[in-house]
Amino acid sequence: MPTAHSIQSIDFLTAFSESVLAYPIVLSIHLTCIALFGGMILATDLRLLGVAFKGLTITEVVTSLRAWKRIGGTIMIAMGLLLAASEAEKYAPNPFFWTKMIILGLIGVHALIFRPIVYNKTEELDRSPVIPTKAKVAAILSLVLWTSMVVMGRLIAYWD
Amino acid sequence: MPLQNAVADALNNSEWVFALAECVHIGGFAVAIGSIALVDFRMLNLGLRRETAARILRDTELWTVVALLFVMFSGVALFLSQVDIYRVNLIFPIKMYVLAAALIYNFTVHRRVATMENPPPFVSKLVAMVSLLLWVSVVFGGIFTGFLV
Repeated sequence: MPTAHSIQSIDFLTAFSESVLAYPIVLSIHLTCIALFGGMILATDLRLLGVAFKGLTITEVVTSLRAWKRIGGTIMIAMGLLLAASEAEKYAPNPFFWTKMIILGLIGVHALIFRPIVYNKTEELDRSPVIPTKAKVAAILSLVLWTSMVVMGRLIAYWD
Repeated sequence: MPLQNAVADALNNSEWVFALAECVHIGGFAVAIGSIALVDFRMLNLGLRRETAARILRDTELWTVVALLFVMFSGVALFLSQVDIYRVNLIFPIKMYVLAAALIYNFTVHRRVATMENPPPFVSKLVAMVSLLLWVSVVFGGIFTGFLV
């Protein structure tokens, strides 16, 4: 894979993957984001399912965590790309890595579909006497997609 | 130790069980730490401000405890599968001390202050920051256990 080789040969990426400390620190930050940001996604999904935080409106849960999810998600993806790019030759043929990237793409599709009808319509959801099916579908798909992300991330290490 | 051997055999003979245990471990700590962090974010006034920290704690506590059980069971399984490696690891014991501190702190100081009616704001914030610091340190400890042998 010439492309993969030239990516990981970029000076700072080579230095990064050869550093004893930089690689595990970035991986730790990646996982810390999964923990903090994952908890917020879980909270949002559980609220949409009507399982937790019933004392809070859906609007409150979605809007007060939105900025943090964006910040956390950005750091998480940046760190993840750094990890992958520094070992591009190892990642390029790895089917789990590409599955993970496809799931990441599906998370984007999920946002495109459900943002206009669920996440940006929270006041409508709050007014509804029962939580509409579309909100529950969005929450369940979100949980499935993010769980798959974690599983695929871990399985990347098991392919050789 | 028969249990140790049995778990080691099961995990070593089928790589997928080890992978599964790792996935449970990661998924579990994401839920456990994430749910604790929601309380911390509230105590720091960074999110869910319409609700009290006490109420958020009540709503999340079951999730935290159940997830922590999954994390600990999978963690013990991972440990038993490679006892010799962990025994000589320099970081692993530090991770365990920090974990013990985080657990004790979470169910004593953190819980007490989160459920207080009107805690002084700086106390609340300090307690939340220490909580986040402890749990993030545990995550770092786990990764460094794998990297610095």
